[in-house]
Amino acid sequence: MDEEKERQLDVKELDRRSFFVKLGLGSLSIATAGTAVFAYQFLSPNVLYEPSPIINAGKPESYPLDSVTLDVNSGIYIIHAREGFFSLSAVCTHLGCLTAWKPELGMIACPCHGSKFKTNGEKIEGPAPRPLPWYRVWLSDDGDLMVDRSATVRPQQFLRV
Amino acid sequence: MATSANYFDQLRKTRVWRSIFRSGSGTSTLHRSLVIQQDVFLHLFPTKVRRRMMSFSVTWYLGTLTFGTFLILVTTGILLMLYYHPSVPQAYADNKDLQFVVSSGLFLRNLHRWSAHAMVFLVFAHMFKVFYRGAYRPPREFNWVIGIILLLITLLLSYTGYLLPWDQLAYWAITVGSNIASAVPVFGDKVHFLLLGGNLVNANALLRFYVLHCMILPLTAIFFIAIHFWRIRKDGGLYVHGSESGQSAAKEER
Amino acid sequence: MSDSKDFVTGVSSNAKKDPRRVVFVTRRTSPQVRVADDEVVQTFPEVFFRTAVAIEVLAILLVGIALLFNAPLEGIADPSHTPNPAKAPWYFLGLQEMLHYFPPVMAGVLVPTLVVLALIVIPYFNINIEAEGLFTRNRAQRFLLFCTIAAALSVFLIIFDVYVALGPTLIVIAFMLLAAKSSATSKTAFRRYLAARPLSFWIMSWFLFELIVLTTVGTFFRGPGWSWVWPWRT
Repeated sequence: MDEEKERQLDVKELDRRSFFVKLGLGSLSIATAGTAVFAYQFLSPNVLYEPSPIINAGKPESYPLDSVTLDVNSGIYIIHAREGFFSLSAVCTHLGCLTAWKPELGMIACPCHGSKFKTNGEKIEGPAPRPLPWYRVWLSDDGDLMVDRSATVRPQQFLRV
Repeated sequence: MATSANYFDQLRKTRVWRSIFRSGSGTSTLHRSLVIQQDVFLHLFPTKVRRRMMSFSVTWYLGTLTFGTFLILVTTGILLMLYYHPSVPQAYADNKDLQFVVSSGLFLRNLHRWSAHAMVFLVFAHMFKVFYRGAYRPPREFNWVIGIILLLITLLLSYTGYLLPWDQLAYWAITVGSNIASAVPVFGDKVHFLLLGGNLVNANALLRFYVLHCMILPLTAIFFIAIHFWRIRKDGGLYVHGSESGQSAAKEER
Repeated sequence: MSDSKDFVTGVSSNAKKDPRRVVFVTRRTSPQVRVADDEVVQTFPEVFFRTAVAIEVLAILLVGIALLFNAPLEGIADPSHTPNPAKAPWYFLGLQEMLHYFPPVMAGVLVPTLVVLALIVIPYFNINIEAEGLFTRNRAQRFLLFCTIAAALSVFLIIFDVYVALGPTLIVIAFMLLAAKSSATSKTAFRRYLAARPLSFWIMSWFLFELIVLTTVGTFFRGPGWSWVWPWRT
C-alpha cells in the first residue's frame, strides 16, 4: 500500500551534496543579480548638472518679421514667420554639429557633412536622416518668449503673438 | 535537477567552452594541478603546498586578509572616482553628493573608509605576526624589507586619501602632516613645496594628492605586492616553524 | 664505514638496514633543512577555498560595518579656522602624541625614521636569527647592561615628562627583570617562556606596547588644545 503511494507521488531524490550545490548557486545568482541592479543604479546619475531645457528668449518684439535668429548657447533658432513664432533645434540631426543660418542662401546649413535644411526644418539635401525638430514655444506671464528644448511639437504649430 | 545538470555538462563539452577552460573537468590530481598551473593569476601558487603552512594558527591569514582589503579598496575606489572631481571646492560637494544623492554612494564611501582603516590595522598586525613567528630569518630577509616598504606605501595611501574629501578634518590633518615634512633637516622645505605643489594646501595640493592616491601609489603597491608574493614562492612557501630552520638543530648541537 | 675511530657520531646505525640522515650544523647559520616527510596537499582546492572563505568573511564584516556606521565628514575646508583639537588619523595619533613632548624634528622626523630603519635591519642581525634567550649567556654582564639602559631610558622619559611612554616602559622592564631571574629550569612555564625570549622580542614587544598606549592616549585622552581629558567625563 505504501509503496504504491510512493510511486504515485513520484518522489525525486535529492542528496545532501546536490541540495547544497543548488543552495549555493541559487544564492550566488541572487547576489549577482542584486549587485548588477545596484551597480546599474549607482552608475546612472540621479542628479545632472546640465543647463535647464527651458530657454527664455526675451521679448517677441526683439525679433523682426521674417527673421531667423540663432542662439548658439542654447542651440535653437527663433523664427518670426508671417504665421507666427516658432523654434527649431539648431543641432543637426545627422551627428550633432551646430548648424548655421545662411541668409544669402535662405537656408540652414551644417558645416560637418553638408546637410542643408529649409527654414521650416525640412531637409533639402545631405546625410541628415530627419528634419530639424520644432520645439514648443509659449509666452510667459511677463510676456517673454519661452522655448522648451525637451518638448518637440509637430511642425507648422505657430505661436501667434 | 537532472536535466539542468545535463545541460551544464553538455555546455562543458562544447568546443567553445573547452577552448576557454582548457584544464578539463575532474577531480584527479592532474586536473587540480592544471587548474593552478594554467591560470595566469593562480600560477603564482605551486600546484602543491605543505599542509602545515595552511593552518590558521600559523599566520592567522593576516597577509591574505590585508590583500583582501586592498582589493576591496581598489574596487570601491575606482567606483568612487566616477563621481569625484579633484578640484576646490567641487571635491567637498562631490562627497556630499556621494552621501546623499548617488545610489549606493553612502555605502561605497563607508566601505572605502572602513576598509582603509582595516587595511592599516591588518598590515601592522601582519608585520607583528611575521616577526613573532620568525618568518623574517634568512633567506627571507629582503622580503621583510619589501614588507616594510609596503607598510610605508599603505600609510602614504591612507594619508593622501585623507585629503580628498576636502573637509576640515582633511585640510588640517594634511596641513599638520606636511608641516612635519618641512621639519626634515636640509631639504624639508623643498619636500614640503614639492609635496603640495606650492606653499599652501590648496587646489594644487589636492590634485597632486589625488594623482598620488589613485595612480602612483596603487601602481607602486601592486608592483611591490607582486614581488612580495613571488619571493614567498621562491622561498618555498610560507615559513612554518620546525620544517625549515635549523633552530632546534643548532640548539641541540650546542 | 664502520670504522668510527676518527670521530664520535653518537648515532649508531646499520646504514644498509636502517639508514638515517645526519646533519652537522655550525653555529650562527640558518640552514635550510627540510623535514623529509612534510605532508603535501593540492593547492586547488585546499588553499584556494581557504583563501576564498577568509576574504569572503572579511568582506562580509566590512560590508556590515559600512552599512551600520557612516564615515565622518565635517564642514568644508576652511583655512581661516582651525578646529580644536586638530587630530591626525588614528594611525598617526601615536606620532602626534609624541609631538606634544618633543620638537617636530625629533618626534616627527627622527623617531619615525629610526623606527623604520630599525625595522628594516632586523633580519640582518645574527642575534635575531639565533634568537636565544636574552639572559642565557653572560647573565651578569647582560643584566648590568640592561639595568643601565633601562635606567637611562626611564630617566630620559621622566625628564621630558613623557609619562604616557614611561608606563609601558616600566611594565616591560618589570617583565625583563623577571626574565633575568628565570631560566630554562624555572618552576613555572611562564618564567621558562620569559627566560627564552630573545632581545628582539623584548624590543619589538616594547614598541608594540608603546604603539598601542600612545595611539589610545591620542585617540581618547586628548581634547582641545591637546589637553588631557578623561573620556568618561566629557
